[in-house]
Amino acid sequence: YRDLHTFELQAPTRLIEWACGNRVCVAGYGQSDGNEILQLIPPPTLLTKEAQGLCPERDFKVECGGFSERPVYSLKHVPDTSLLVTSGPPDSSLQVWQVSAEDSDVIRSVSIIATENGTEQSWAKIATISVRAPWVLHGSRLDRVQITEVESRKNVYTADIQGKPNVFIFGKVEGSEELSTLAFLDCNTLLLCCATGRLCLADTRQPQSLVEAMSVPSAPCTEQWCMGTRHGAQGSEPSSQPVARLSSRGLLTLTDLRKTSELLALAKARVPSPGSGAEFLCVSWAPALEGYLAISGFDGTVHVYDTQGWDSSGREAEPIFVHKGHAFGGAGGSGDPPLVTVHTWHLQKPRTLLSAASDGSLHVWDWVQPCGKC
Amino acid sequence: MPEIKVTPLGAGQDVGRSCILVSIAGKNVMLDCGMHMGYNDDRRFPDFSYITQNGRLTDFLDCVIISHFHLDHCGALPYFSEMVGYDGPIYMTHPTKAICPILLEDYRKITVDKKGETNFFTSQMIKDCMKKVVAVHLHQTVQVDEELEIKAYYAGHVLGAAMFQIKVGCESVVYTGDYNMTPDRHLGAAWIDKCRPDLLISESTYATTIRDSKRCRERDFLKKVHETVERGGKVLIPVFALGRAQELCILLETFWERMNLKAPIYFSTGLTEKANHYYKLFITWTNQKIRKTFVQRNMFEFKHIKAFDRAFADNPGPMVVFATPGMLHAGQSLQIFRKWAGNEKNMVIMPGYCVQGTVGHKILSGQRKLEMEGRQILEVKMQVEYMSFSAHADAKGIMQLIRQAEPRNVLLVHGEAKKMEFLKQKIEQEFHVSCFMPANGETTTILTNPCIPVDISLGLLKRETAIGPVADAKKPKLMHGSLLMKDNSFRLVSPEQALKELGLAEHQLRFTCRVHIQDPRKEHETVLRVYNHLKGILKDYSVQHLPDGSITVESILIQATAHSEDQGTKVLLVSWTYQ
Repeated sequence: YRDLHTFELQAPTRLIEWACGNRVCVAGYGQSDGNEILQLIPPPTLLTKEAQGLCPERDFKVECGGFSERPVYSLKHVPDTSLLVTSGPPDSSLQVWQVSAEDSDVIRSVSIIATENGTEQSWAKIATISVRAPWVLHGSRLDRVQITEVESRKNVYTADIQGKPNVFIFGKVEGSEELSTLAFLDCNTLLLCCATGRLCLADTRQPQSLVEAMSVPSAPCTEQWCMGTRHGAQGSEPSSQPVARLSSRGLLTLTDLRKTSELLALAKARVPSPGSGAEFLCVSWAPALEGYLAISGFDGTVHVYDTQGWDSSGREAEPIFVHKGHAFGGAGGSGDPPLVTVHTWHLQKPRTLLSAASDGSLHVWDWVQPCGKC
Repeated sequence: MPEIKVTPLGAGQDVGRSCILVSIAGKNVMLDCGMHMGYNDDRRFPDFSYITQNGRLTDFLDCVIISHFHLDHCGALPYFSEMVGYDGPIYMTHPTKAICPILLEDYRKITVDKKGETNFFTSQMIKDCMKKVVAVHLHQTVQVDEELEIKAYYAGHVLGAAMFQIKVGCESVVYTGDYNMTPDRHLGAAWIDKCRPDLLISESTYATTIRDSKRCRERDFLKKVHETVERGGKVLIPVFALGRAQELCILLETFWERMNLKAPIYFSTGLTEKANHYYKLFITWTNQKIRKTFVQRNMFEFKHIKAFDRAFADNPGPMVVFATPGMLHAGQSLQIFRKWAGNEKNMVIMPGYCVQGTVGHKILSGQRKLEMEGRQILEVKMQVEYMSFSAHADAKGIMQLIRQAEPRNVLLVHGEAKKMEFLKQKIEQEFHVSCFMPANGETTTILTNPCIPVDISLGLLKRETAIGPVADAKKPKLMHGSLLMKDNSFRLVSPEQALKELGLAEHQLRFTCRVHIQDPRKEHETVLRVYNHLKGILKDYSVQHLPDGSITVESILIQATAHSEDQGTKVLLVSWTYQ
């Protein structure tokens, strides 16, 4: 490590999201109400380039907080606004919040974006963009994906995939396939990843067309997948960035969206098996390092990989770095070892990550490149 | 409605110059009397004119309580008692009483000698002020007068810091001062019993902070010290003689032992003659763990830490020195600093807040060329680091304390208004108590529900508890009885018992009402008509026609007579008892 800071939140979080002004948002996911949504100001050490050992301000400050009646499973900041959108069980409706940091430190609930729900318990996965207007892409199932304008709550787009001619999907489509991750590639193109691993591209201008990208190697049906996308440098084509998919068995696939007929790479991460389920699976690309990604959700560790040089053989890959802090922190021996619930990369500092675990810990760490590589 | 009034004169929505006025059941108490470290003028003192414009403070205030020796809690005390004028009792714990005057004198020296201020308290004033102090022990109930009593609880934070409970009759207020809920190496965590005060006044300095773990801070501190020593440099750590210094000594001692380091560590103190006295005070106030570990050895005896001699500062090679005073403003620590400042291999680690005007403050602000006496310029090439190991409660700690004490209301001080609204809501939602955050000079009134103790007769208690559902501690149960007030005693007894004691007979009340109806027929025909009607509509009740011509509906009696003056009108007499 070059640097490691450990913090303890009052309640564990399963999301770490960046908001404007370098703020970090976390939220509780407990079953009872009174879950807190916190917007934190990171310590100045995280905002400067040089490592400062004994800088006076080493703490996170809670800038604002709000109370949510339901557990918060997902939170996204709406760019160019002071709004946050959250989602969580028991249904797939979204909650919209207003952060007004100047006059008060309370995050207020502003509105609810309701959706028609099925009978099953589900929660919406979300993604946001503000190009034409502040939009939120949401849905819990493939056939329920919609884009809603956040402020007016008007529906802008609804995916319509049942039996239409322009749908190119290999194999049988289960419209009710559960979604695991959604993303905007740009304001017209959507990327949808199902829990089965199926990756679909949609164009908002043509609601009836859905193109499936490469499917995943056949696997036991209990295997679940999630996706990570990367925004390239300003001005680069969104589809030039490879899309990563991670499975609950530790398989990692990389797909180039311009050539969806074949996998760019396939590798296996060394993870404990049987896995602890797919609830907290997380894969993300480093925003400031080309070709580096991180995975977590199998145990109390976060793995960092260099994907340059991976091929499609499916060999086991060696992580460049493993963060084990969560497994060692906290009160030892009381109950289950903590499970890393989420991780994210720092937007500017290339090797800094933030990770949170089920025991409420929040770590900020900066790893050193091992010798021999540049 | 009885009420408690609280007015912060300082630290209302602000950090510094803590001073809170509490008015409870006719008694007036001042909590802390601090100095604001950021100002140089009158704003650094609380505004005492608020208490009373022209009366004598001694007459108005029943007592003053000081929570701990930090200057933002006791710095204005000599000014208050000697220059503004107060002769009543001042309460504080023993360690606070011992250490306060030293810090006050130190501060006085900097302000007057270094900064050249004139309107400041003198050394004699500090001494006179301390003569008014009454020292208290933990958990000892102290009767200030017949009605007012106070009790100190352990607060952690620094040596001698206490939380105080102020009680008059059955109304009470708990003031926390500064406290922390997690124990560290040399101090335990704050603790209070379920005293259920009407009001808890709590500091909220770190309420909106999520602190870096102590392990990380310590690890970074040790790393810096180690690196400096490894490259042959010298580390200066200016400290106040007691408190944080012990913490760091224990930390370094353990580290040196583990890493088998050879560089010498020295501890210099200008207070050797009082060291034993403080040691005794220290041991009762320190962490349970420490007491057990150090039962064999003196707190001032470490294997790797030796006493310092002035000459050692010139020795070549690496070393670590703890020297007083803490802000580098005078004395030995300043002397050592001047010797070592020119070498970039050396390091100085400032342990905490430095008052403006001190060398410590200047170098922490980034100044690297300092003017010393005789116009000499000192170039500072050594590394300057700052560390803060101060112990305050965070949001989780505040919630824990509220859970322990179970107050009916909470008042927050020592934080910034905007940032406390979230915490206020959190407290209100979780504990269903009201939470207040007044500004300086703003009075908050809290209504209390004083309990009036009443004796209850055993017979009544047995009878009432036998009826109805089982008593639940959380739900109040309604009981019926008669309250007898005789002289100053209140007794609750059954109504029969009350009547017996008072020699009264129970009265039976019977109500009657006359209803006039137009009916020219004979009385017994009217009665029959009424009877049939009632029997028809009151099917669930027992309606009877008695031989004497009256009707009964349960216990209600109806009789008909002719109107004395008008044969066409019948008068129905309806009568019932009070059930």
